[in-house]
Amino acid sequence: MYELERITVEVVSAIVCFILVRFMVKPFRLTGETRYLGLPLGFGILGVSYAFSALSYSPLSDYTVSGPVQLLVRAFAFFLLAVTYFFSKSERKPKLMWNITFGISVCTMTILMILANVFGQFLWINYQTARVFANIFNLICLVYVSIHALKSHMEQSDPTTLISPLGYVLLGIGQYSLLVWSVDASIFAFFGALALRLAGLAVFLFVSYRSFYSSERGRK
Amino acid sequence: MKRIQRRDKLKIYGDLLSALRSESASEKIVLTKVQAKINVPFDRMKAYISELVGLGLVRSETSLKLTEKGIQYLREYDRVLNFMKRMGLLYQ
Repeated sequence: MYELERITVEVVSAIVCFILVRFMVKPFRLTGETRYLGLPLGFGILGVSYAFSALSYSPLSDYTVSGPVQLLVRAFAFFLLAVTYFFSKSERKPKLMWNITFGISVCTMTILMILANVFGQFLWINYQTARVFANIFNLICLVYVSIHALKSHMEQSDPTTLISPLGYVLLGIGQYSLLVWSVDASIFAFFGALALRLAGLAVFLFVSYRSFYSSERGRK
Repeated sequence: MKRIQRRDKLKIYGDLLSALRSESASEKIVLTKVQAKINVPFDRMKAYISELVGLGLVRSETSLKLTEKGIQYLREYDRVLNFMKRMGLLYQ
């Protein structure tokens, strides 16, 4: 039901994420520090997961394979974002720790993807349970990132820094709505989650535009 | 007691270029003023300025001045730092 609407939202979300990658990669390119690599990778992988979701709703794809894969990929994306915020505040700049964490998470992700493909049928049987756990995991990651971004805003006391925590909060509420949908199959919760996700991503687009283009226009 | 945060070279370059830009409004750049702004020893600041001249970001003729490349670099540096601040990421 509502397949076309779902596919449209997933495709739009994926496109927005890929546009955001272009901005999110700039801190890494300027500083050359790998601890900022999680931001473009996180949004890029998030975009890939939305593309997988769009594919899973289409009649061309086998949902028993693409369903579990998009769950894993999305969880990995939120994990990368949380790790980036975790390491961003460290004054000692633990390059090695970030590299180790990143390496371990990539290995874990690869193993899980292989398992999802080899034991696809098995995962499909437990798919509903896996979806609930994945949503809880994503929610925890987003709550962590939101708190981190809000704390950073409170330290800065600059009103412009409040916008990005709002984006993460919207994504977090969206994940919570998905959790509600996983449990009671409420269609309102599902479409609410999609709307909140789009709003959250729009917030990040706004922040990126304001940072890189709006200020440039002001100078001219 | 508040801990003084360590800065890497990139941050020092950014601070130095910002200080040079704000000081360039006056007729002659006074290096001690710049030094007070960026808070590094004088000899090390001179070495940083030489490196910036080598990179083509600063011109050292009669007085120190940011080149077009330096102005562009500083603009991009400010934008990225502003973006990171807005995203809740701090660059120290």
